[in-house]
Amino acid sequence: MKPMLSTDLNVADTIVEKAKIEVKNLNFYYGQSKALKDINLSLPERSVTAFIGPSGCGKSTLLRVLNRIYELYPKQSAEGQVLLDGKNILDRSQDLNLLRTKIGMVFQKPTPFPMSIYENIAFGVRLYEKISKAEMDSRVESALKRAALWNEVKDKLNASGQSLSGGQQQRLCIARTVAVKPEVILLDEPASALDPLSTAKIEELIDELQADYTIVIVTHNMQQAARVSRQTAFMYLGELVEFDRTEKIFTSPREKRTQDYITGRFG
Amino acid sequence: MAEHTVASFDEDLRQISRLINDMGDLAGSMVGGSTRALLESDNALAQRVVSDDAIMDARQRELDDRAITLIAKRQPMADDLRHVVGSIRMAGDLERIGDLAKNIAKRVGSVGVSTAPRDLTHSIDSMAQLVLIQVQGVIQEYTVGDATALAKLRNDDERIDVKYTSVFRELLTYMMEDPRNITACTHLLFCAKNLERIGDHVTNIAENAYYVLTGTQLPANRPKQDETAMSAPAA
Repeated sequence: MKPMLSTDLNVADTIVEKAKIEVKNLNFYYGQSKALKDINLSLPERSVTAFIGPSGCGKSTLLRVLNRIYELYPKQSAEGQVLLDGKNILDRSQDLNLLRTKIGMVFQKPTPFPMSIYENIAFGVRLYEKISKAEMDSRVESALKRAALWNEVKDKLNASGQSLSGGQQQRLCIARTVAVKPEVILLDEPASALDPLSTAKIEELIDELQADYTIVIVTHNMQQAARVSRQTAFMYLGELVEFDRTEKIFTSPREKRTQDYITGRFG
Repeated sequence: MAEHTVASFDEDLRQISRLINDMGDLAGSMVGGSTRALLESDNALAQRVVSDDAIMDARQRELDDRAITLIAKRQPMADDLRHVVGSIRMAGDLERIGDLAKNIAKRVGSVGVSTAPRDLTHSIDSMAQLVLIQVQGVIQEYTVGDATALAKLRNDDERIDVKYTSVFRELLTYMMEDPRNITACTHLLFCAKNLERIGDHVTNIAENAYYVLTGTQLPANRPKQDETAMSAPAA
């Protein structure tokens, strides 16, 4: 197998599995200001990768480049390459709708649509596929089961998605993402607004989902990154400082800046 | 190393370091005291070593409590995590060194000055010196953060093993020469074995300290020279 490695010295030589996403020489700008500086990174398939770093380090920006959601806003631009299965998604010819079915995203604040639990999931599926009512029922059920929410909502599928608790709403959003059969799931601080029990459920879910999906999670909670991810990228001031197996990052990182950040000695 | 943003975190870590230092000092004094008591048949000194062991045990319990509280409160990472976990393990080895020194001290009365002539105890004396240097050295090198010295110190345990083999043979010879030496020599043999075991605990401490300082493990294999199992008479 061809090693999927960047030549960047700070990128560990131990991460050699098949890459789902390869980021090459990526630079990102908010207007004139450069928010990402020459990022090189390979995200292994069917595995959880965490992005950590202080506020403003570029971790959420990097996540937002991976499905080009930044294009919703003016004056934001990316240079370089982001290869999904070897194909550059930053290419102008890339169909954005198709890209976002392949790369789903869940945000910090749960964002259920103002409609029923059932419709929250069916709505997205209908945008991309024409399927029968029976098929849709089964798709909704399997998505809710996949997001570990089925048992809690199966008797009230017609209730509003917004009537659920925060943790349930977030799992509904994950179910909605899973329902359109993505290949990659991006999670931007998915548990930061949740209580510990709901957080544990989301983490358990991430653990299960990685068997089928490539997952990228941005989190401020370092223990969470340590618990859920297989590899961790530490970013600072728009640079990728260190990328390595998670246990290496949290027990003996190579870079002093990584060490200072994760041990709470920063600034 | 820069200070933590949360200053009380640094204080918690310092207290753990202080306990390791205290236990290291106490281990050195117990090992030195027990062998001197043995060689000079000093029962009072032996008694002090025995009572010091209770202090050692209390220090270890305090360190365990502090380390576990720190993990629960601070969730340490990277070098902090290695420091805390490494300290728990080093404290375990220091506590065992205390036990072994106490065991030597408890034999002082049994060996007895009249039955332990000078030439019989001479080899034990030089072995004890080697062990004492190792015990004192390991905590000192850890405190100053010298990983290279720790790797060397770990390999120096070989000298204790070689010495133990020679003490073992020597004591066997004394016992064969004159059966009246058997009781004293058997006790001395246990003492020598305890000293050799103390050397092994120092080796563990050196390995842990090396990992705390560097984040990497020393290679699993190190020279082993204890040949007593092979040279023991077929009985």
